[in-house]
Amino acid sequence: MRYNEKELQALSRQPAEMAAELGMRGPKKGSVLKRRLVKLVVNFLFYFRTDEAEPVGALLLERCRVIREELSAFSISFIEDPERKYHFECSSEEQCQEWMEALRRASYEFMRRSLVFYRNEIRKVTGKDPLEQFGISEEARFQLSGLQA
Amino acid sequence: MKLNERSVAHYALSDSPADHTGFLRTWGGPGTPSTPSGTGRRCWFVLKGNLLFSFESREGRAPLSLVVLEGCTVELAEAPVPEEFAFAICFDAPGVRPHLLAAEGPAAQEAWVKALSRASFGYMRLVVRELESQLQDARQSLALQRRSSWKSVASCCKPQAPNHRSAGLENGHSLSKDSSPVGLVDVAGIRSSGQGLAEWELQGPASLLGRGQSPVSPETSCFSTLHDWYGQEIVELRQCWQQRAKRSQPKCEEQDKP
Repeated sequence: MRYNEKELQALSRQPAEMAAELGMRGPKKGSVLKRRLVKLVVNFLFYFRTDEAEPVGALLLERCRVIREELSAFSISFIEDPERKYHFECSSEEQCQEWMEALRRASYEFMRRSLVFYRNEIRKVTGKDPLEQFGISEEARFQLSGLQA
Repeated sequence: MKLNERSVAHYALSDSPADHTGFLRTWGGPGTPSTPSGTGRRCWFVLKGNLLFSFESREGRAPLSLVVLEGCTVELAEAPVPEEFAFAICFDAPGVRPHLLAAEGPAAQEAWVKALSRASFGYMRLVVRELESQLQDARQSLALQRRSSWKSVASCCKPQAPNHRSAGLENGHSLSKDSSPVGLVDVAGIRSSGQGLAEWELQGPASLLGRGQSPVSPETSCFSTLHDWYGQEIVELRQCWQQRAKRSQPKCEEQDKP
């Protein structure tokens, strides 16, 4: 699959939702824990060698599962291969919790579900569609029917 | 740079909702010159969230390409071949060439430009935050209406407001002893009226009641009196909410519409 690395590099320089130095271990067997600067930007998790400006890699966070592995460690895996885990070690339970919550919310699909939920709730309470004022009520991305069960 | 390509491809092929799909001609790809020429290549494009995928065909089992739609603008463009309905995805970043695409007709061109312009995560986030705050306002208004409909005067019960903000609100708002319940006003319309609140004259409920008017009294004839009476309570509450909101999270009040 072709993609423009420079596009992703530019994205990795955008303001991050969360950024911290964490221990990271890749999914391959025998991977070693390494210190990485981990940066959450929109629905991508970038990871950098601590002294480099360009990321080593990126993880698209759609359809990921974030699981607590230990008191201060979590893993990210993806729906099509849940055993293939990216491990992250935090410096505290608190930091671990913070990251897990941020990552769970960091997908476009999560936002879509939130939006549909709020739209529906507002309709129930006020009887009006809140998106009409923006003129976007018909857009595909905001439709309830687009959601899977 | 590494990317979890397998997961990305899986997401592209999954039945999660596509925000737009269609055939487009594309220029650029391995082995093509840096200046687009010729008629381009016809591919099946799928927009999911802030990701634009292309496939060889509708039945393609692996995406050919991915464009991440963050930090870009979408503009109408000139195609190398005339009479193409072309547009380009342009990035601000150095060394990133615009992606030139062409739709099959003017309606498709317009639809794609619109869909791609609103594809960013940031846009979605703005809309979600806006709706989130609208829902909170709507629920608070509803709680207010319900509270006002309870009978007691001096011994008002604490309202069962739906979220944590209400605890603070009770402290911020002191019900005057004279305040009378019964909500008859459509408070849900307040949010959509914009700066309507600031224009209301604040009249103490006591002064209104002193004139023999009361929300519950059948003699209260003037709607605007009723309106103002409830309005004062709401103005005070709204000021508290806004202060609280400013403290706890940045709110985008004045954003440009996309």
